Amino acid sequence: MRRLDPWLLIAVLAIAACAFLAQSSTAKALAAPGHANRQLVWLAVGAVVLLLVAFADYRVLARLSPLLYVASITVLLTLFAIAPLRGGTRSWLAIGTYTVQPSEFARVVTILAVATLANEYRQSRLNFAAVWRMSAVVAAPALLVLLQPDLGMALTYIPILLGALWLCGLPWRAWVAVLLGGAVVVAAAWLYLLKPYQKERVLTFADPQRAPYSSGYQQRQSKIAVGSGGITGKGLHSGTQSQLRFLPAQYTDFIFAVWAEETGFVGAALLLAAYALLVIRVFMVALSARDRVGAVFAGCAGFVLSTSILVNVGMVTGLAPTTGITLPLLSYGGSSVLATCITLGIVQSVWRLRYANV
Amino acid sequence: MTFVRDDLRPVQRRAAAMLAVTVVALATFMVRLWVLQVVQGQRWREAAENNRLRRLPLEAPRGMVKDVRGEVILDNRPAYQLLLFPEEMSDPTRTAAFLTHLEIAPADEVRARLEKARRTSHLPSVIADNLTWPQVAAIAAHAAEYHELEIHPATRRSLPPGATVAHVVGQLGEVSPEQLVERPDLRPGQLVGRSGLERAYQDVLGGTPGNLVVVVDALGKQVSALSEEPPVAGRPLEVTIDLALQREAVAAMSGQVGAVVALDPRDGAVRVLLSQPAFDPELFAGHLEPARWHELISDPLNPLHDRALQALYPPGSTIKPLFATGALKDGIRTPFDTVYCTGAVSIYGHPYRCWQAGGHGRMAIEQAIEQSCDTYFYYVARDAGIDRLASWARMFGLGSPTRIELGGENPGLVPDDSWSRRARGQPWYGGETISVGIGQGPILVTPLQLAVAYAALVNGGNLVHPHLVPGKGGAPQPIGLPLEALAHVRSGMERVVNGERGTARRLGNLPVRFAGKTGTSQVMRKKEGVKWYELPWEQRHHALFVGFAPVDEPHLLVCVVVEHGGDAASVAAPIAARIIQRAFGPNAGEGDVTATVPPIWQNTSLPPPPSPGSETGVAGETVPPTAALEPAHPANRAEGRPPVHAATTSQAPPTRR
Repeated sequence: MRRLDPWLLIAVLAIAACAFLAQSSTAKALAAPGHANRQLVWLAVGAVVLLLVAFADYRVLARLSPLLYVASITVLLTLFAIAPLRGGTRSWLAIGTYTVQPSEFARVVTILAVATLANEYRQSRLNFAAVWRMSAVVAAPALLVLLQPDLGMALTYIPILLGALWLCGLPWRAWVAVLLGGAVVVAAAWLYLLKPYQKERVLTFADPQRAPYSSGYQQRQSKIAVGSGGITGKGLHSGTQSQLRFLPAQYTDFIFAVWAEETGFVGAALLLAAYALLVIRVFMVALSARDRVGAVFAGCAGFVLSTSILVNVGMVTGLAPTTGITLPLLSYGGSSVLATCITLGIVQSVWRLRYANV
Repeated sequence: MTFVRDDLRPVQRRAAAMLAVTVVALATFMVRLWVLQVVQGQRWREAAENNRLRRLPLEAPRGMVKDVRGEVILDNRPAYQLLLFPEEMSDPTRTAAFLTHLEIAPADEVRARLEKARRTSHLPSVIADNLTWPQVAAIAAHAAEYHELEIHPATRRSLPPGATVAHVVGQLGEVSPEQLVERPDLRPGQLVGRSGLERAYQDVLGGTPGNLVVVVDALGKQVSALSEEPPVAGRPLEVTIDLALQREAVAAMSGQVGAVVALDPRDGAVRVLLSQPAFDPELFAGHLEPARWHELISDPLNPLHDRALQALYPPGSTIKPLFATGALKDGIRTPFDTVYCTGAVSIYGHPYRCWQAGGHGRMAIEQAIEQSCDTYFYYVARDAGIDRLASWARMFGLGSPTRIELGGENPGLVPDDSWSRRARGQPWYGGETISVGIGQGPILVTPLQLAVAYAALVNGGNLVHPHLVPGKGGAPQPIGLPLEALAHVRSGMERVVNGERGTARRLGNLPVRFAGKTGTSQVMRKKEGVKWYELPWEQRHHALFVGFAPVDEPHLLVCVVVEHGGDAASVAAPIAARIIQRAFGPNAGEGDVTATVPPIWQNTSLPPPPSPGSETGVAGETVPPTAALEPAHPANRAEGRPPVHAATTSQAPPTRR
């Protein structure tokens, strides 16, 4: 236990505490008292899972990663056959009375698979074949998720590939190619893939006056919630924006706004600091990992975490468009909490074994 | 086997770079939070309050209006309004479809109202009022889907039946954007007085709207009420109008086009103010539909026009007592100077005819008024000159607004040489002076001006300020008329009705004695040998009568103008007589006064469409009732006068031979 990173654990506990308080507030607003308690149970389970994984050997997991990868692809494929249609997507799997979102766990497995793959190319720059293999490894699950269709979740797979390519190194000409390819993909997506409401969101972000009563509504309500919190906030369970339900999707995408409204700048800054501590510690693990698997895994995990945080908080504070990307650990959802905890558990494992002999 | 330790330093460098970028981004977000929450905190707090607090307008009931005897002219009745909260509206097309389906208004009208409500303000606007019960029920049932809509109890103006007071009380209309800027206490969509008493006394009648501040959730559901600021009802207004007389005037004027003004000549308190045809004020009680509006403004008889204040008529012979007074005052004539009327005179080389073809014989001033001798007044005009005639007319208040509270008055026209040079670019032509002497030519008055002028004639020479609210008139202004002159003129006017050769002598044996003066002002050149009732409506003369009673100390002065009435004595005078009988007669309070008054010749050929049915269809076919067929004896008046159209001010010199 002493060989685990205490700062990372403290950050997780602090975020978990904020998550429970914020969720209890939205539970009151939405008159669903069960929500907060369930989130608390998942956070507790997540903490236990984190510790269990931390005491496993990440190198063993890396060796098992091809198996895990094939399994997760299989699950994603079977979703199309057996998952019920919920909210227009087939991304949820019902197990008894619980629902599981396999794409969350598939993401952890993908990070692990990419890190394991990176270990085969122990040079300072990746070659062409390595780039293709890595891209394929990430693209397969991402495409399956995209077809569910769950665009927001599919987008969170992109940082995995970008993070891995960055960490393992690419010649600058390759980066140019990647950026051009990305631009082509974005343009193609805009023309052929994005649905009108998704385009509307992006346009609304670019010009908030565009449609003040539809797409812009959510972001405006979010900014009102955050801004009206002031320095010390309106008090827990007293936020008018959340309690009177002006805030949309407040237990998932916009949970940060609930916290910011009720605890003000003080609470929001503390929570952001906790996230900063978490991300810094994860990157510190990447810096001190004893091998390439650990370093790439921790670096990728840190990059995925930080992009999620930045995109979500950016959306809440009006710095990024509305994307439907959740805030790790704070947003409601068992699968998300568990997947994040597993990731952090592996990171802890990398930290614990940083001095271990081969 | 040689173990080569993997060189992780490039990976570590790149991870460190990632970390740096992330830390910088997180620091940026920290600054962003600071800006939103601390720097802009106040602004967002206000936005949050706007979100959750809804200010519901509580409309103030407008004040009642009562007539001089306490009878209610204008009251309120309950009605339901539809409020729109523009910021809550997510899909205007859907809302418009819903409202159209409920038949709130036609589709494009609904769209226009929604668009206007969205443009005007973020405050709620009234988009419909006078909702029916099924509409109220349907909107209430769909409250969850359309939380931008809200039913609001309110009041609407109600008028008593039978009294056509439309022009007096005026219209309510939605407050205009300019008024909103001037008066922050007014609210978008609020109804304010647009004309008549409603506008003149908006400050008295309007009251102060209140507010109800409620907390609502995102679905617009009221969670709780925070505070209430009750509306202050408008104060009641007592006016000088006598509703009984107004009703009598409406009944007497039915089927006619024109105006009736009755006032107390002692102080100018207006008792009757009627313009026919009138509009239904109910149309303006709420939101007027464009179709109805178009119907109103395309009516050839123009019901919106307040003829009592805004229409100009040549006064015709009703000008004679005024000029007689002036002539006596300035010594142009003594009461005993006489003129011999042969039925035609030649002045400035042109022939002018008296209406009485055979001539009146020798006339002093009292007989000249009694018999409306044109010859006498041709010579008065010739001797006085146009500038003096104009000064007499102005002395009686003609040519300038009477300053009645309602506003929108037409100042009329008193012509003289300088006016001619200014308006027509040519000097005054002397022959016109002769026409002006008998109230023809470019001289034009409103019925109200004529009543005010006569008030000065019968109240001892004081110009009154006509008014509708007691005490608003101020003291009458003496205009320096010798009492002796006034006595002679009044005696002449008494003989008009009661003398044996008076032009209105058919009204001489009514229960209540009264006096007055007839006037038949020419619209078209008289056709030889054609009776006036054989002419098409628009070619007939205007019929005027100004009467007053009691004769010795007048309390009531009635001025009647019937457009294209044809003949003063048989059309205008009986209308005035009915009002006077109603005011002073044996059954003044109630009962029928028509039995005592000779029947009024009814117009049977008004141009279409004054109102569906009665007046139009049988034009030219219906023979007037015999009593009116041979009206008094002055059946063919206006003989020998130059052709003048009522509304035109330009005029050819009288060249009739």
